Formats: sequence, C-alpha cells, structure tokens
Amino acid sequence: MGAYSTANSYSAYASYTRTVLSASAASLAVWAGLYLLLTGRGERFDVGGYLLRLSPYMWALYGISLCIGLSVVGAAWGIFIAGSSILGSAVRTPRIATKNLISIIFCEVVAIYGVIMAIVFSAKVAAVQSTNGFSRSDYYTGFSLFWGGLAVGLSNLICGLAVGITGSNAAVADAHDQQLFVKILVIEIFGSIIGLFGLIVGLLVTGKAEDFSVS
Amino acid sequence: MAAVRDNVFPTRMNLTMTKTRLKGAQTGHSLLKRKSEALTTRFRVIVRKIEDAKLKMGKVMQNASFSLAEVAYITGDISYQVRESAKHATFKVSAKQENVSGVLLPAFEKDTQQAAGGQFELTGLGRGGQQIQKARAVYMKAVEMLVELASLQTAFVILDEVIKLTNRRVNAIEYVIIPRIENTISYINSELDEQDREEFYRLKKIQGKKKERAANAQRELDEIAKPTINDGSLHPDFAGDFTSAESSSAGVRDILAEQVDEDIIF
Amino acid sequence: MNEIYFNADAGYLEGIVRGYRDGLITLPQYLNLTQCETMDDLKLQLATTDYASFLQNEPSPMSTSTLSARCTDALVAEFQYLQQNAAEPISKFLDFITYGFMIDNVILLITGTLHERDTHDLLEKCHPLGFFDTMPALCVATTVQDLYSTVLVDSPLAGYFRECLSAEDLNELNIEIIRNTLHKAYLEDFYTYCQGLGEPTASIMAEILMFEADRRTVNITINSFGTELSKDDRAKLYPRLGSMYPEAQTRLARVDDMDQVKAILEQYGDYKTMLSGVGTGASSGGAGGDDMSLEDRFFAREVQLNKDSFEQQFHYGVFYSWLRLKEQEIRNVVWVAECISQQQKDKINNYTPIY
Repeated sequence: MGAYSTANSYSAYASYTRTVLSASAASLAVWAGLYLLLTGRGERFDVGGYLLRLSPYMWALYGISLCIGLSVVGAAWGIFIAGSSILGSAVRTPRIATKNLISIIFCEVVAIYGVIMAIVFSAKVAAVQSTNGFSRSDYYTGFSLFWGGLAVGLSNLICGLAVGITGSNAAVADAHDQQLFVKILVIEIFGSIIGLFGLIVGLLVTGKAEDFSVS
Repeated sequence: MAAVRDNVFPTRMNLTMTKTRLKGAQTGHSLLKRKSEALTTRFRVIVRKIEDAKLKMGKVMQNASFSLAEVAYITGDISYQVRESAKHATFKVSAKQENVSGVLLPAFEKDTQQAAGGQFELTGLGRGGQQIQKARAVYMKAVEMLVELASLQTAFVILDEVIKLTNRRVNAIEYVIIPRIENTISYINSELDEQDREEFYRLKKIQGKKKERAANAQRELDEIAKPTINDGSLHPDFAGDFTSAESSSAGVRDILAEQVDEDIIF
Repeated sequence: MNEIYFNADAGYLEGIVRGYRDGLITLPQYLNLTQCETMDDLKLQLATTDYASFLQNEPSPMSTSTLSARCTDALVAEFQYLQQNAAEPISKFLDFITYGFMIDNVILLITGTLHERDTHDLLEKCHPLGFFDTMPALCVATTVQDLYSTVLVDSPLAGYFRECLSAEDLNELNIEIIRNTLHKAYLEDFYTYCQGLGEPTASIMAEILMFEADRRTVNITINSFGTELSKDDRAKLYPRLGSMYPEAQTRLARVDDMDQVKAILEQYGDYKTMLSGVGTGASSGGAGGDDMSLEDRFFAREVQLNKDSFEQQFHYGVFYSWLRLKEQEIRNVVWVAECISQQQKDKINNYTPIY
C-alpha cells in the first residue's frame, strides 16, 4: 500500500544515500567523459594520467581532511547512537547516566585519534622550495598521507559506529541489569580498539614518508 | 385450672352434646397431631435439602463468579457485549403448586428453552469463546440452583408457618379445649348428680311431709280413731351428707363465676 | 545498517519502552501479591510497582473493576507518552498498534447504536487507545454502507472495512463476523506494513504476528464448533498469514471437533505440544500445572515471543511486545485481585508470569 513508502525506515535511508551517491558519481563521470570526448579531447579522458598529474599536496591534504573528517563523523554518529539510548534508558533508571558517559567518551576518543593523526600528518606538509618540482619522495609522502588518512578516517568512522552501537546496548542493558554493564563494556573496549588499529596502520604507512622536501 | 369450663346449662342434653364435642375434639386432636407430624417430617426433609442446597449454592456461585473472572482474564470485559446481544430470556421460571397434607406449597420450575440458547455463541470468537460458553454453562447451573433454593426456601417459610399453626391447634386442643370439655362434662355430671340428690331429698322431704301429713291425718284420725304408726322417716346420716355435698357444690360455683373463659380462639 | 539509523528517530523511545519493560511486575513481586489476604494488602503491594501513582487516590474498598480500570489508565498513560514523543516511522507503527483497539471500539459503538444506547455512555466504555476523531459520529450509522461512507472512510480503518461491505445489515452474528473480519484485515495489513520496515523489525514482528494469526485461526475454529457460523464463513475469517496459511487453514475450515484440529496440527511442533492434553472444554486459567487451558498456553507462548523480542535492539517490535506484555500483566494483576476478593486461593497461581 502507498502509505508504507513514507515509513520504509532506515534501510530506506541507507539505500537512498547509496543510490544518490552512486548516481551522482556515475553521472559526473559520464558528464566529464562526454564533455572531453565531444570537445575533441577524448585522449585526456585518462583516469590514471589524471591521478598522476594531481599534486602531492592535494593527496596529502585530502588524506588529512579525510582523517579528521571521517573520524569526527564516526565519533559524532557514535555519540548520538549511544546518547539517545542512554537518554531514553536513564528516564527510568537515572543511575546509568553517569556510568554510561564512558560510552560517550569512547566515541569521543575516536575523534581524538583523528585529531592526533591529522596533526601528525600535517607536520609532514611543508612548502616545497625546490625549483625542480616534486621529487619522488614528495609523491610518496602525498600518497601515503592520503591513504594513511583514509585508513585512519574509515577505521575511526566504523569504530565510532561500533562503539556507539555497543554503547547503546550497554546503556539499555545496564538499565535492565546492573551486572551487565561491565560485560558489555568489555565488548565496547574491543570495539574501540578497532580505531587504534587504524591509527597504528596510519602511523606505519606514513612513518617512512619524508616531509615534503624543503631543500 | 381444672375449673375452666364452658358456660353451659347442666342438662342431660348438654352432657350428650359436650360428650360428642369431646369425641370430636379428640378426633380432631389426633388428626391434627398426625398432620403436624407429617408436616414436620416434610419440613425436616426440606431443611436438610436447604442446608445442602445452601452449602452447594455457595460453591456454585463462587464457581460461577470465578468463571466470569476467567473470562475477564482471557477476553477482557465482555459484559456489555453479552448484555446487548441477549434478546430474549433463555431461562424462565414457572411456579406450580404442590399439595402436602392440605398445605399448598409453591414450587418453582425452570422452563428450559435450550433450543433458543447460544445467542452470543459467537462472542469471543477470536479469543476466549470457550471460556465464555463455559461461564455461561456454569451460570446456568447456578441459576438453576438458585431457583431450586428459592422454591425450597418458600416452602420452608410456608411450612414453618403452617406447622406452627398446627402445633398451636394441637396444643390448644390438647391443653385447653379437651380439659375444658372434660371439665364441662364433670361439671354437668356433678350438677346432674346434685340435682339428682336434691330431687331425691326433695322427694324424701315430700315423702316426709306426706308422711307427716298422713301421720297428722292419722293422728287426727287416731285421735279420732286412736292408733298411730311412725314409719319411713329420713335417716339422719344421709341428710347430713346431702347438705355437705350441697355446700361443696356451691363452692365450686363461686370459683366458676370468678373465672371468665378468655380463650376466644375456640 | 539498521542500527546506524534506528536511534535517530527511536533511540530515546526505545530506551523509554525498555524502561517500561523493566517496570513490569516480576515473579517475586507476583509471589508477594499472591500472599495478600485482602484487597488493601494487594493495593499496598502494588504501591511498589508502576501502578502506585494510579492507585494511591483510590478509596480503600477497591473493587477489581476499579483496579482493572486504573491499571489500564497506567498503560494508556505510558503508551500516550510514547505516541507523543514519536516521530514519523515510529509514530506510524504506534498508530498501527492502536488500530486493533479502534476496531473493538467501532464494534462496541455499532452494537450500542443497534440497541439505541446513549452515545456518551458508549464512549466511556471505549478503550482510550482506540479513540479517533470521528468516532462519536459512528452512532448515526445503521448499515455497514452508511458506516463506511459517513464515518469510517476518513478513519484509518477504512481499508479494513472494504472486505465486509457486503454484509447486508447489522445483527449480532454479522457484528461478530465484522469484528473478526476487521481484525483479520488489520492483522494482514500490519504484517505487510512490518515487512516493509526491513530487518530486524520485519522478522521479529513476523514471528509475533504469525503466532497471533495462528492463534486466531485455532480459536475461531474451536469456538465456531456448533454455532451458526458456516464453514465457508469460518474460512473467510482466517487471517491469510501465519504458519497455518494456507494448507492447514483449508483443512481446519472443514473440521467439526477438537480431535480433528489436533490431528491437523500434529505437523506443527509448537501447536502439537500446546494442544496435547487440552480437552475440548477449556479448563481453568492457569500457568504451571497440568490443567492449563489452550488459551493459557497461547498466553504463555505469546508472552515468550514478546519477551524474546526484547532480546534484540534497534527494532520496533519492542513497542508492540511491551504493550502485549503490559496487557498480560494487567490481566494477571486483575486475576490475582479477583482470586483474593473471591477467596479462591487455590487458583491464584494460575496467572502467566512475565519475568
């Protein structure tokens, strides 16, 4: 019945977001390709070449912004998932409110990971003085910062969600039975470690990268 | 107390009549006694039945109201629904009369109209229909019980009244009427005896007088013709007896006059 | 993915409803309740539960009907709090829950109208959860068509009435049939709606609603033995869902006694155990004990299913389950109260405990 379409819930949100994103990406690609093709510059529709021509700064700063951006999205999302459940459950059992702040803190930690990594990454970015353009090392730094940042950002996003959901579980479970809190907290800690994995990998990936060559 | 008696003229006819009355009273007494006994037997049976019924009633009513609670547990409040869908009575009570030793006892009977039953048979179709039907059956039984108890109870009250009445009659006959009639009889008898004795005395007196007169005449004659014979005068003992009887009978009469018979029942 | 979005709209309410769930009377509390000797004791014991604030102003000799009414008030207050705080998808779901009560109210009003009762008296008897704006206007209708075209077409129940528009006039038999047809349509609609909600709501609600459908099917079958309800009509009242649809239903539509029902349900593990040992007559209400009636077993199963739905988070089923559990709890409390006031202590344990 027609009435249902409005109510088709979260999976509707998810699929809607997915559809919009993929459709806009595809149409953008098609538009760019056709534009180049039809303006007689078809040979320039070359994704690999384009990526190579991109400035390492672009890569590096993308990496940094993705790192902090995704981390913050993950943290915020986690906080609202856990927070709303804590709020609801605390109506009947107010004692859980303070205790379950730990879930919020776990979520917040994810954002802090992102901030730390963004700071670490941005320390590698400096103005290139050389007149010879970018060196091989600069390119490596750019790529590693991008992918390192993406890895940290994504893992923090997922980690934030995971902690948020477990945090919400913890709140609900704690409200029902006090003893469950610690047990679920253990799970929550495991969840929050995921972000740490991303952090470590990010550090390792960018560890070998030199600063942008000042010389 | 022996003094209570009917205010009758002590004649032979009244004696016969009173004797007939005594006989009647005795027959009545024994009849009433038997009736009372029959009623009492019946009464006892009813009392026993009532006791049973009342004990059972408590249980049945408890069951009934409890089955309603069960219905409420399963289907919620259906009273309104049931009330609205009941269109005509499925359970009717008719009264008939039963004759027990001349006492008319009302007995209530249920008119089963089972054919028309099951009006709200669809109530609780989706949930609890069985409980509703069960509650209905239990209540039906309870109402039956109630009707039975009602007829027993009415019979009990009526019989109680009648038995009291009969017993009063029996006692009245036994302790008031029969003694009174007996008193009357003995009074009449004594009166008649006294009359007899008076008559006898009078006759004797007359005889004496006659003899005296005859003697006087004789004496006159004797005086005229000399010879006189004293013959057949009243024995002095006998005469004394007679007077004492008369005085006692007068005493009896005095007491009688004082006591007016207040029993107006009979 | 559902977990990520769920709390945006329903996180708070879920927390609330779970809080309500924790407020349900637990087994030790039930044991305390059953120890009571008088209604006053019971009231005192209930003061430790969520009903306290609703009972404290009741004058002391409290009847069971008052108790029941106050408990229902508590339920309604809690449910209305949820409704007032609900945003779109969940408010729709909560509305769906109330449709069941609406159907009963509509039927009540129709029955009352048929016997020309006072509208205000009738409205008082209606379940507060099933109120809708045009309800008082129901009293003017005398035929189903009237009813539909004047009042119900604007109510959420309009869709359900389409099926029973063919009923010529309103008499007792028809009203009861209409009620069951409506419930059937409602159940089917609710089921379809829940399926549209996606996992895990869909699967959890499916289990509960399918059980509900099965219960309706079995109940209608058993309760229609020896009544005027024809077998075709009976088949029409079966909800078109549940584990018995369609195969077992077509067979159930033709049976005449309990044994045949049992034979048909042999193949369903759950219902087989439920039906075994249940005679044709329903025995006393009860849990734990061999004299459990079919209804009691159904209740026990319903409670179990609804409890299970609390084992998962991030789905709407908890709202429905909580309402059902709460209803069961009110039944239990009233049962205990009834047992106490009627001095039937031996049956006092025949309630269906929840936790």
